Amino acid sequence: MQDPFILFWAGLILASIVWYGVLVFYVGIKAGRDIKTMIKSLKDDPSQDR
Amino acid sequence: MTLTLFDWIIIVVYLAGCLIAGLAMRRYVRGVEDFAVAGREMNVNLGIASLAATEMGLVTIMYTAQLGFEKGLAGASIGVLMAAAFWIVGRTGFIIGPLRNAGVMTIPELFEKRFHRRVRWLAGLFVVLGGLLNMGIFLRLGGEFLVWATGIPPSWLEWVMTVLLGLVLLYTALGGMLSVLVTDYLQFLVMGVGIVITSILVLINVGGLDLITSLQNAWAGHAGMKLNSHPFNPFDGSSLGWGYLLWMLVLQVAAATTWQTVISRVLAAKDVDTAKQMYRRTSFYFVGRFLLPGLWGAAAFVYFANQGGLPEGTTTLTAMPQYLGTILPIGLLGLVIAAMLAAEMSTDSGYLLTWATVIYNDLITPCLRQPLSPRGRLLLTRLLVLGIGVFLLFYGLWYELPGNAWDYLAVTGNIYLASVFTLLVAGLYWPRANARGAYCALIMGAIGPITFLLIGKTYSIPPEVAGAAAFGLAALGMIFGSLSKPSTVNAT
Repeated sequence: MQDPFILFWAGLILASIVWYGVLVFYVGIKAGRDIKTMIKSLKDDPSQDR
Repeated sequence: MTLTLFDWIIIVVYLAGCLIAGLAMRRYVRGVEDFAVAGREMNVNLGIASLAATEMGLVTIMYTAQLGFEKGLAGASIGVLMAAAFWIVGRTGFIIGPLRNAGVMTIPELFEKRFHRRVRWLAGLFVVLGGLLNMGIFLRLGGEFLVWATGIPPSWLEWVMTVLLGLVLLYTALGGMLSVLVTDYLQFLVMGVGIVITSILVLINVGGLDLITSLQNAWAGHAGMKLNSHPFNPFDGSSLGWGYLLWMLVLQVAAATTWQTVISRVLAAKDVDTAKQMYRRTSFYFVGRFLLPGLWGAAAFVYFANQGGLPEGTTTLTAMPQYLGTILPIGLLGLVIAAMLAAEMSTDSGYLLTWATVIYNDLITPCLRQPLSPRGRLLLTRLLVLGIGVFLLFYGLWYELPGNAWDYLAVTGNIYLASVFTLLVAGLYWPRANARGAYCALIMGAIGPITFLLIGKTYSIPPEVAGAAAFGLAALGMIFGSLSKPSTVNAT
């Protein structure tokens, strides 16, 4: 474990797992709201052809 | 490994959910701009989910796991470079800022404004050629995963992938980018959960410290299989090496600013700040994009090394799904398969839409004497999505991959990355650039990768040499071509 590359990769693996978990919840909630906003905006747009 | 009823229920519910959500968006498509760039209404978090889902395909998981199997954790260095490239571009707005402000639907459209209509057409041709060849192996590699992870008969591969592609085609052709964004969101969630659970299971199965020790032993030649590449140090001569890493850094910066499926999210963003935020916040995702499947591949190597070697018929590409099939418990397999289907579908839909938009916008539209009616434009783009789907079925399922999947993808993508990147940089930041330089850059930039594809196997041209040569030739073409014509116009 004295190899700095091993520590580097071990740290990145743990950070990636945590980051993916956090993103699923955080972006999951926020992006759900983004979809609602996008649909509302599209509904409200009076133009029939763009 | 056999799928249980519970696994099947998870998969069917997931597929039905995607289809319903995708088809529901059809009603909001009123024109090509809604279809191609979602009416430019996309906010930052939806952009993150869509970008992450599109750029993390089943094909990605397969080739990054292959890198992990062959090169250990050092193979994930490409992901670190990719993350750095996205963060730098997101911080500075390099290329993506002026590109979003230009209000175009595709990159080649910008070239008509800056250079000439024929430059747009030629660039569009290169973009489509490189993009379709690149996408050509997605179905095959995705199918290989499913066959090896679930144990379904190999003869089913073509049928399973045809049905899957049919579902993707249905909602993509009808709902365009709006359907892609919404289904990408669902796929991002399912895929994220699947990747986290699989990575934890792999770590529990192989043991973190045991993985490191086993890889070190395999590198030293004291295991059932010899690892020919240093498993942790990417700069070691046996691993990727400095030359390859430098090429990857340039390639990743080019991909972050030029790869049309990524740029289509920039163009769909509400404004430049949204696009830049999307890049910065997604950047670290790309570390995991290479590292977590790379971990699965490295664990597969240790597993098969302990077994005395790869079984007959198993390759470095198919070792990871076969290994996962042995460790995933019943019930979780359905979730992981749904996650992998999500990865495949989100990538396929994003790519289908992107290349269809470029063909419509940059190859067909400039040749029309009279513009099509709005309905005609929409119909044509939808037909192009279907046409690309048919191409994928034939090319993707019958093409035999000649070697390492990542090198194939990097080289085919490079057919246009080097030249189009050069055009973008020169067009946006070098006032002296002109159409003659653009033609020279396009043609010279494609020579390297196409040569590699045609004779690379015979003459053993290293991919980094072909790649670096492409960027160098494109830049030289732009500089000498532009300077060979007297400056007459003030550039924009």
